[in-house]
Amino acid sequence: MRVSLFVTCLADQLWPSAAVGTVQVLRRLGCVVEFDERQTCCGQPAFNTGYRPAARTLAQRLIEIFESSTADAIVSPSGSCTAMVHHYHQLFDDGGWRARARGVAERTHELSSFLVNRLGVEDVGASFSGRLTWHDACHGLRDLGIRTEPRRLLRRVKGAELVELPNAETCCGFGGTFSVKYPEISVAMLDEKVDAIERAGVEAVVSGDASCLMQIGGRLSRRGSPVRAVHLAEVLASTL
Amino acid sequence: MTFERDARTALADGQLRGALRHATTLFGERRRAALATVPDWEGARDRARAIKDETLAHLDRYLEEFTANAERAGAQVHWARDAAEACDIIGRIAQQRGARTVVKSKSMASEEIHLNAALARRGIEPVETDLGEYIVQLAGETPSHIVVPAIHKTKAQIAALFADKLGIALSDDVATLAAAARQALRRRFAEADLGISGVNFAVAETGTILILENEGNARLTTSLPRTHLALMGIEKVIPRFADLEVFLQLLPRSGTGQALTAYQSLLTGTKRRPEDEGPDELHIVLLDNGRSQMLASAVTRQTLACIRCGACLNACPVYRQIGGHAYGSVYPGPIGAVLTPQLLGTGRSSELPYASSLCGACRDVCPVKIDIPAVLLHLRAQAVDRGAGKRRVLERLAFWAYATVMARPRLLEWLVRAARTLRILPPLAAWTKWRDLRPLAPRSFREQWRAGLRDQRDPNA
Amino acid sequence: MRSGDARHEILYAIRTNLAQDTSPPILSSPSPEGTGGQGVRTPIPRDLVARFREQLVAVGALCTAVRGETEAAAALARILTDAGARRVVGSDSAVVQRLLHAMGDGFELERLDRLSRDELFSCDAGVTTAQWGIAETGTLVLESAREQSRLLSLVPPIHVAVLSTRCICDSLGDALARVSPASHAVTFITGPSRTSDIELTLVVGVHGPQTVHVLLMEEA
Repeated sequence: MRVSLFVTCLADQLWPSAAVGTVQVLRRLGCVVEFDERQTCCGQPAFNTGYRPAARTLAQRLIEIFESSTADAIVSPSGSCTAMVHHYHQLFDDGGWRARARGVAERTHELSSFLVNRLGVEDVGASFSGRLTWHDACHGLRDLGIRTEPRRLLRRVKGAELVELPNAETCCGFGGTFSVKYPEISVAMLDEKVDAIERAGVEAVVSGDASCLMQIGGRLSRRGSPVRAVHLAEVLASTL
Repeated sequence: MTFERDARTALADGQLRGALRHATTLFGERRRAALATVPDWEGARDRARAIKDETLAHLDRYLEEFTANAERAGAQVHWARDAAEACDIIGRIAQQRGARTVVKSKSMASEEIHLNAALARRGIEPVETDLGEYIVQLAGETPSHIVVPAIHKTKAQIAALFADKLGIALSDDVATLAAAARQALRRRFAEADLGISGVNFAVAETGTILILENEGNARLTTSLPRTHLALMGIEKVIPRFADLEVFLQLLPRSGTGQALTAYQSLLTGTKRRPEDEGPDELHIVLLDNGRSQMLASAVTRQTLACIRCGACLNACPVYRQIGGHAYGSVYPGPIGAVLTPQLLGTGRSSELPYASSLCGACRDVCPVKIDIPAVLLHLRAQAVDRGAGKRRVLERLAFWAYATVMARPRLLEWLVRAARTLRILPPLAAWTKWRDLRPLAPRSFREQWRAGLRDQRDPNA
Repeated sequence: MRSGDARHEILYAIRTNLAQDTSPPILSSPSPEGTGGQGVRTPIPRDLVARFREQLVAVGALCTAVRGETEAAAALARILTDAGARRVVGSDSAVVQRLLHAMGDGFELERLDRLSRDELFSCDAGVTTAQWGIAETGTLVLESAREQSRLLSLVPPIHVAVLSTRCICDSLGDALARVSPASHAVTFITGPSRTSDIELTLVVGVHGPQTVHVLLMEEA
C-alpha cells in the first residue's frame, strides 16, 4: 500500500513528532510512504475566518499536488485538516473543480480512520506505559465520525491504560482564531477540559489534532500540571 | 465590542456560570434519556427537516393557504413587514378594544419586535405570565435562555425581587415563590381584556395555530380574554395537520427531555357559537422582519427551520460559559448567533458569527438538522466580503501575507527558519496570557524527512 | 401608518428571494440509521389501557378505574372529598351532570354559565369528560365542539376527567387524525401544570391544575 503523507502545516512546524510518528506507524504496517514537499497549508484558517478566495487558492494548490500522486491513499495526522479537504467541494461553483475536490477527498483519510477502517488494523505493535485519556477533536468527531477508532487503537497499546473523560467530546475551546479573538471564553472552555483531565489522574492526554494539543498542553503547563499532551501518532509509534 | 464586554461580565459571574453549567448539563442528560426511548430518532429528524424544507421552498403558497383557512374559521389575519408595522397593528387593535389589562404568554417574536415598549408608549402595559418571563419583567431584565428565561437568577434573588415588587414575605422556598406569582397573576388573568400569545406551529391545511407550554398561562391567555392576538414569524407555518405529530415528538424531548409538555392548545379560528367558551376575536399577525430575505440561499434558508426548542443552547460549550445576555437579543446561543445578524442586523452582528469555535455540537442536537456551523461560516465570509468590522484592515493584511507565503513553500521554510534562529515569536498576548506557547520545532518534519527519514525503513519490518 | 399592501409585499419578497437561490437544496446529511418518513412511534403493546394508566402515573396524573355510573359517582365523591374540594363545577356533558348529581351531599355544585369569572376562580374543582386518551403519552384530549371543558380543565386547582376506555387511542398521530375539524379549540393535557423556571426546581400546579385525576370508565 502506497500512502502519500498530508503532513499539515501545524504538524510540520510545531508538532513534527506527530508526522514522524505517522510515517513510522505506516511503515511498520508495511506501507510505503511518500511526501510531496510542495504541500503547505490546506487553507482551513482562511476558510474558517471567512477569507474564501484565499482558501480557494490554497485548496486548488493542494488538490493539484495530491492529484499528481498515484498513491493508494492520502493520510493525515489531523482530523480537522482532513475534514477541510472533505469540505473543499463547497468552495467551488465550477463543476470541474467540484469533481476534482471530491476525487481528492475520497482518497484522504485521517490516521486512526485509515488504520482501523482501511487497513483493518487495531494492534499496531505499540508500547506506551501509563494512564492515558483521549480527547475527541471536534472536526474528526463530528465531520468525519471518528469516535471508536482511536479508542480501539489505544486499547491495544501495550502498557497503556485508557481512561475515559466525562467530557471527552466537549470542545477544548481552540476553534482556530476563536482562541485569540475570544480568549477568555476559549480558556473558560479549556479549563473545564483541563479540570476533567486532572481529575482523571492520567499521565497524558492524547488527541488526533495538534491544534487541540497546543491548546490543552499550553494550559496544562501554565497550570503547572505534570500531565503531557501527546499526539495519537506519537503513542502508536512508540515501542518503548 | 459589546459581545466581548458582556461575555467578560458573564465569565466573571461565578453564580451565573454555576447555574448555566447545572441547567445545560441537566437538560442535556434529560434530552439524551428521552431519545433513548425512541426507536427512530434520526428518521424523525429527517422527516421534520424535509417538511420544513418543503414548506420554505413554497412559503408563499403555504402562507396563503394558512391565511385562507384561518380566515374561513373566523380569524383575522394581519401581515407585518417589519417590527414597527407589527407593533403598530397590535397597538391599534389593543387601543381599539380599549384594552387596559393585557396578559402575554411566551412569545420570542414579541421580544424581537420590542412589543412591550411599543405598547407602553400607548399607555398599555402587558403582563408577562410565563413564570420565567414574569420574573425577568419584574426585574427589568432580558431573558437569558429560550426555555428557562430566568435561569440566571437564584431563588434568593427572586425572593428579594418578589418581596420588593409583590410585597410578600421573604422566602426562598421555590413552591412558595411560584405560588406567589400564581396569586399575583390570577388577578390579571381574571381581568384581562386582551391576551397576546406566540405560536409554535401554524397549519396551512386547516388554519390552526398550536401553542405548547407547561404552566397553563398560555391556555389562560388564549381562553379568558375577549380578544386573543397571536404573533408569529412567517416561518412557523407547516403544510398539514398530520405534520404536527413529528414536531410534537421532537420539540419537547429536544428542549427539556419531556415526551410532551403539559399542554398543547390547537386553536382554529373563533368559537362557532356565541355561547361557547373562548375569545370573541382571534387576530393572527404574520411577521416578516427580515425572514423573507433569508430564503435567498439554501444555506441561510435552513435557519428558518428552527422550532425554538433550545437544544443548541444546552449543547453549546460557548453558551455554557457565557449565557444568553451576551448575545444581545432575544435569541441566544448558536441559533442566536446566526439568526440575530440576519434578522436584526444589530451592532453585535459582526461579532456574533465569530463567537463560536465551530465545534458542531449544536448541529448534532438540532431536531431539524440545521447546520449552524455552515451558516456561521457563510456569515463570516459575508462579513469579510462586506468589509464589516473595524478590525478588518490588519486581519486582511495578515491573511494576504498568509496566503502569499503558503503558496510558496520555499518562502515559508525560509521565514520559519528565520523566526526560529532569531527567536521571533508573534506577539500573541491573547494566547500567552493564559497558555504557554509551544515553540517552533528545532527541526520541522520536512527537514527531518530530507535529513534521512525519507530513506529509513521500518526497523521492525 | 404604512401605506401599501403588506401582504402583497411580503409574498412578493418571498417569491423573489426564493427565485434567487439557484443552488441545489441542502439536504441535511442523511442519517446513517434513518429510515426516513416513519416517525418515532414507540411500539404500543396490545393493552392500550394498561399503557395509558402507566403513562398517567409517569406524568403525575392520578387514575381511578370504575365500571358503570354508580361506581363512578361514588368514586368521584371520594376523589373530591379526599382532595378537599367543596365547590365543584361540572361541564355541560350529560355524563358529568349525572355523576355530579348522583354523588350525594357535601358539595356545592356550580354551572359554568352561571358563574362570574371571579367565582370560577374560587372553585375548588372542575369536572369534565375527555374525548380521547393517548396511551403513548398519558394524554387527555378535549375538543371544544363536543363539550365546554376549556376553562373547567384549567382554572380550578383540581381537574377530574371522565374518560371511557373505548376512547383510548395509541399515539399522538392517531389522536390528531381523530379530532374533529369542527372544534375551534382542541386541548391536549398531559399531567398537571408545572414549571422549573426557578433554579430548575420542579413545582407542580402553577397556572393550571395541580391535580389531574382521570376517572376511567371501563367499558367492554
